[in-house]
Amino acid sequence: MTSKSKTLPLSTERSWKPAFDSAAWKRRAKGLVLPVVALLALEFVVRIGWVPPYQLPAPSDIALTLRDLAGGQLWNHIGASLLRVLSGFAIGAGLALLAAAWVGLSREAEAYLEPTFAGLRAIPSLAWVPLLLLWLGIDETSKVVLIAIGAFFPVYLNGVAAIRNIDRKLVEVGQMYGFSATQLARRILLPAALPGLFTGLRSGMSLAWMFLVAAELIAATKGLGYLLTDGRETSRPDIVLAAIIVLAVLGKVCDGVLAKLEQHFLAWRDAFTGNSAGPTEN
Amino acid sequence: MAQALLNVRIERKHFDAVTVLRNIDLHLDPQEIVSLLGPSGCGKSTLLRIAAGLERDFSGAVSRSEQGADVAFVFQEPRLMPWLTVAQNIGFSAGADYDAPWVRQLITEVGLDGFADALPKQLSGGMAQRVALARGLYSRPQVLLLDEPFSAVDAFTRMKLQDLLLQLAQHHGIALLLVTHDVDEALYLSDRVLVMGSQQPSSIRLGLDVPLGRPRDRRDAELGRLKGEALTELQLAHVI
Amino acid sequence: MASTPYRTRRLARFFSAAGLVLGASIAALGGAHIAQAADALPKELRLDYAYYSPTSLVLKHFGWLEQSVGEGSKVTWTLSQGSNRALEYLNSGSIDFGSTAGLAAVLSRANGSPIKTVYIASRPEWTALVVAKDSPIKTVADLKGHKIAATKGTDPYLFTLRSLEQAGLSKNDVELVHLQHADGRTALEKGDVDAWAGLDPLLAASQLQAGSRILYHNVNFNSYGVINVTETFAKQYPQAIDKVITAYEKARKWAQENPEELAQILSKESGLPLDVAKLQLQRTDFSNSQPGAEHIAALKAAAPILLTEELVRKGVDVNAVVDQLIEPSFSKQAVAAK
Repeated sequence: MTSKSKTLPLSTERSWKPAFDSAAWKRRAKGLVLPVVALLALEFVVRIGWVPPYQLPAPSDIALTLRDLAGGQLWNHIGASLLRVLSGFAIGAGLALLAAAWVGLSREAEAYLEPTFAGLRAIPSLAWVPLLLLWLGIDETSKVVLIAIGAFFPVYLNGVAAIRNIDRKLVEVGQMYGFSATQLARRILLPAALPGLFTGLRSGMSLAWMFLVAAELIAATKGLGYLLTDGRETSRPDIVLAAIIVLAVLGKVCDGVLAKLEQHFLAWRDAFTGNSAGPTEN
Repeated sequence: MAQALLNVRIERKHFDAVTVLRNIDLHLDPQEIVSLLGPSGCGKSTLLRIAAGLERDFSGAVSRSEQGADVAFVFQEPRLMPWLTVAQNIGFSAGADYDAPWVRQLITEVGLDGFADALPKQLSGGMAQRVALARGLYSRPQVLLLDEPFSAVDAFTRMKLQDLLLQLAQHHGIALLLVTHDVDEALYLSDRVLVMGSQQPSSIRLGLDVPLGRPRDRRDAELGRLKGEALTELQLAHVI
Repeated sequence: MASTPYRTRRLARFFSAAGLVLGASIAALGGAHIAQAADALPKELRLDYAYYSPTSLVLKHFGWLEQSVGEGSKVTWTLSQGSNRALEYLNSGSIDFGSTAGLAAVLSRANGSPIKTVYIASRPEWTALVVAKDSPIKTVADLKGHKIAATKGTDPYLFTLRSLEQAGLSKNDVELVHLQHADGRTALEKGDVDAWAGLDPLLAASQLQAGSRILYHNVNFNSYGVINVTETFAKQYPQAIDKVITAYEKARKWAQENPEELAQILSKESGLPLDVAKLQLQRTDFSNSQPGAEHIAALKAAAPILLTEELVRKGVDVNAVVDQLIEPSFSKQAVAAK
């Protein structure tokens, strides 16, 4: 009377292949083509003198500078910047998640809070700087607060949208079971909103890095932004570029961590990946 | 005389200015299978939701017998939590510590052996609806309310799922209140078919008894005759 | 999947085309730097002015340079908030003449900027380490572990490093907060930092208006106010340099003869009270404007700090840099011509 379907439409497992995955590496190689070509072109152009080195140092010079810095203060600067960015991000994203949950779940809260947040969101990052310097001084506090502000808004926006986009049908299932508000929030709303939340978190992380540089350009004693101004004020464009490269790498690493977490927690998503075949990247 | 498991009396149900239901009075006896048959928009889904307690804004009363008949609901779409496995979905009402052996048994009963750890994205429509049925059975209800449960699958899967439903109802001694727009389905499954019209406000125009034993043969002439009666009534009600 | 010969050819063609386009655009950019035939004067003569260079304010005020070049060129003035800004503008080609401290110019040249010092604007004692009125800090050595506001790449910054070295400290023994001069003053007066490497006129203003106390001053640790140009500009427009130096000389003579009016101009331009302007001018000396042995010796004596504090790359010959930087020829010519 009953029947079983014979096969699964899709493979259940995505097993980790320890063997060399040539398709994946070919794909990565494609991503490297543009930067490698650009670097070679720049090296060539500076070495033959078309562009003066005091305006654009050759990539090999920048590499040497990086090596010198790595033997010295670079790690202190990296540590200082990482500490600021991560604490600012944690505070900003944490508050944003709470605010998003509140506004997303309560029409009343939305009516009171949303217009204010919309206004604050419109303030550009650099406009906050003089205000924060005035109120909070030139210490760590003003910097971390600036970064927290930067991280707050993308996380908040995406969080609210994620909650509003939750399929009403799933919520009804919980209501049918007589879930309390807390149960609904914890067991249905939170997991269902997770994809949107992760988008917000990654966006907030990249903005946190941006606001970090803004904070460190003004009144810092250490950090990568400080290194950047060091290069600027002492006519060392190679240091400027070295700092930018380190910032880019660190930003990418942080985003990569979030992306991995996203992949892990959202493996259940039935999502469009752009290509039907092939392993999904990142 | 056994007391009705479920009694639904609706004097009036309206959405804003429009009254959709008026003077509904239906009861469900233990282990009885009743269908609500009618076109889209006639209010049968609303009626079912009222019976389930999902709609509370109406004038009338829904009562259960003193055993406090547990009621479970199966929606038109499977509505599985995409982040949970099949087993976790079935045991959803219990949360993290669901009754694993019971869930395993239900998985076998609905014919999904081996799929306990599959994610909803890996299931076909019919398989997902089986999980929804199993989920409905998890709480060992006495009444199962189903809102057009098989309308989203193809005709052949539908027939298989109907047989599965009958099997489950018989095995677990559950009463079913089923909403459908499929005349054949209503007659194949039910002990009683309640026909609803399309004019608002709706009420139950006709109650058809189907005194056939089970298992039923879809080719049975008696079913054909009853179908004729139902069609006549639907025609009179200007549904067709 | 093996790449077919056809694919490889297509790929090769794509890259050659891309390379050509890239090369052509860079050539076009580079070509923009290459000068046309050396004209007498550039179409635009871009100078900077600064509150730490009083004669620049005089020159701007009276318009003598504009009169001198007439229709031959348009004169524009850009405000430099410090040596660091002036050097940035000079190196990026936004101005032709930059007013900086001598040692700051050495630092920039040592790091690869092709600039030349062609004129000495003044010999000021324009910087000192100041603390707040009621600060417990009494000596430079007391600054260990404290916050000092100093603008990187400027004379106050280098002054600070030299003073610290003299007291046995290095920049890692203190926290140097990079703030432009005006912000540094605010930070000191608000109490956000413990000391400030001040620059006139803001230094004078802080002394007179907020009662800030000079912790340490040393005229020998100040390195002259100088005017710089890029090597390219020097090759292309020697006549322009001649005109500018002549104009500056006029301003200098006037400044020496009219101290009262000079103070007025400084006060008005900088927006600071007259007594502040006067205090700054008290410690400014306009007597020797020609780059010469005196300046070379002073800069060579100061230059080692750049190496010890790692402001320049290791192994740079700072003495050679000073020799390459100082260019007395234009100034000699302009003064002799009179």
